[in-house]
Amino acid sequence: MAADVKPRIKAPATAKKGETFEIKTLVTHEMESGQRKDADGKTIPRKIINAFHCKLNGREVFSAKIEPAVAANPYLSFFVRAEESGTYEFTWVDDDGSLYKAEHKIAVS
Amino acid sequence: MLRLLERIGRGTATAVAALGALLALGAAETGAQGKPPAPLHLEGSAAPMPWARYKGWNKATWDTYNTLAQRDLTKPAGKEIEIKGSIDGDAKKGKDLSFSRARGGGCLSCHVMGPETLELPGNVGPDLSEIGKQGRTDQWLYNYVYDPRVYNAESSMPPWGAHGLYTEAEIRDIVAFLKSLATPATYKNALDDPTKRPLPVEDRDGLDPFVNPAAERIDPGEKLFAAVGRAGKACATCHGDAKKTFAEWANTMPRWEPRLKRMLGVEEFVYRHARATTGESYLMQSAENTDLSVFLRFVVHGKATRVDTTSAEAKASLERARVLSTVKVGQLNFACVDCHTPEKGALKWIRGQYLGEPKGQITHFPNWRTSRNEVWDIRKRLQWCNVQVRANELPPDAPEYADLEFYLTVASQGMPWEAPNIRH
Repeated sequence: MAADVKPRIKAPATAKKGETFEIKTLVTHEMESGQRKDADGKTIPRKIINAFHCKLNGREVFSAKIEPAVAANPYLSFFVRAEESGTYEFTWVDDDGSLYKAEHKIAVS
Repeated sequence: MLRLLERIGRGTATAVAALGALLALGAAETGAQGKPPAPLHLEGSAAPMPWARYKGWNKATWDTYNTLAQRDLTKPAGKEIEIKGSIDGDAKKGKDLSFSRARGGGCLSCHVMGPETLELPGNVGPDLSEIGKQGRTDQWLYNYVYDPRVYNAESSMPPWGAHGLYTEAEIRDIVAFLKSLATPATYKNALDDPTKRPLPVEDRDGLDPFVNPAAERIDPGEKLFAAVGRAGKACATCHGDAKKTFAEWANTMPRWEPRLKRMLGVEEFVYRHARATTGESYLMQSAENTDLSVFLRFVVHGKATRVDTTSAEAKASLERARVLSTVKVGQLNFACVDCHTPEKGALKWIRGQYLGEPKGQITHFPNWRTSRNEVWDIRKRLQWCNVQVRANELPPDAPEYADLEFYLTVASQGMPWEAPNIRH
């Protein structure tokens, strides 16, 4: 699965200090809930992204705990205030321990 | 094929192997420009056989009504039914039936029906708000609902009684309700008035995966293009960079295939060509087939539709499609033209949905269906149309769908391709 996971980020490249802006994140993932059964009646094991973290220059600014009810390809959008220039680092945590990462640079003036 | 010939000209090892495969297939015919035709697996169906309807779709079958392939099943209209005396049905029950979405869509799908009309009525049929004082006889009203073909062979309205959608007693109730209608409709706002309702605007960016989940299928399609198949070759082995070699291909499909004697669309071509070259079996409606179709449409994004309409075969296909578009199919007895030509239902509202005309209906396929959470190619959309009018659908590689796909493509000739995209 991990080979097919593709994180995407949509956020401005520049912002004015104090301004609030939106960060949109999207990651391709099956989000198998663990509730479904296959054709033979066997439960399909759960495999979801269970957590999401967003850090700016190493400091966490947003995080989310994700539950099995969240649909495939989770799309999270949130607002942050521009305080300093730097790099946002995004991490999605898979049930199997895999970490999917993305980065986004912003210049705050 | 052009690319293949260029490679043969350069004498690369892969091209020699490809040529060997070509000769092994005995492809002695030559195409319109004198090029050898693309190798195709010509045997059998390009779709899973026997064809079974998709999981999650309506399971009913309508074996006593016309399909696009078998057009002599629907019984013709009977004689006008004589009504003695006046009809004294229950107008309240008639109103409930007319307004219910649970039964064939309800009369409000196509008609405005007086001041009590619910939200978002349609206007495919005439406004019936004052039908009760227009001097229609009970017999005329009864027969028009029971089977409008008695008076008008070309009517778009389903034969509600003759096709068993309402019982005779229910139609008497509906007639009683129609007789009670004598006051023009009033609307709460412009949205409810189908003559003033704002037209839908489609301006979403289909290539933005944040907007359109189908855009996520471009990369998997590109990977499949480069994936080495069972015969030791990938699509890319002969065709190189699809963004260059297929930059003017999908926008020229469908085209006539003399070996199959039918119009060949992208999806059927992908199955038959891959089967004959890379050895992979990407049956129509498989995830792989749709992903490749998305990718091959993506590489012509923005390119004008330009299918050949000049050949005798193209003209014959268009004529077959024109006839197909007028064939009444299914329990609801609809033809394509009933909903999709401006002379009839197109550019009007069926409840809250706006009916398009043929132009511009194909250049956004394959697309993400927000109502179904999956990517559909045009053939699946045509199958959906059939099932919605309660007609048995055909397999996706049916030549009837191929002709209709060509007809829709010609209607969009010159328009830019915008696939993958997103629709309801």
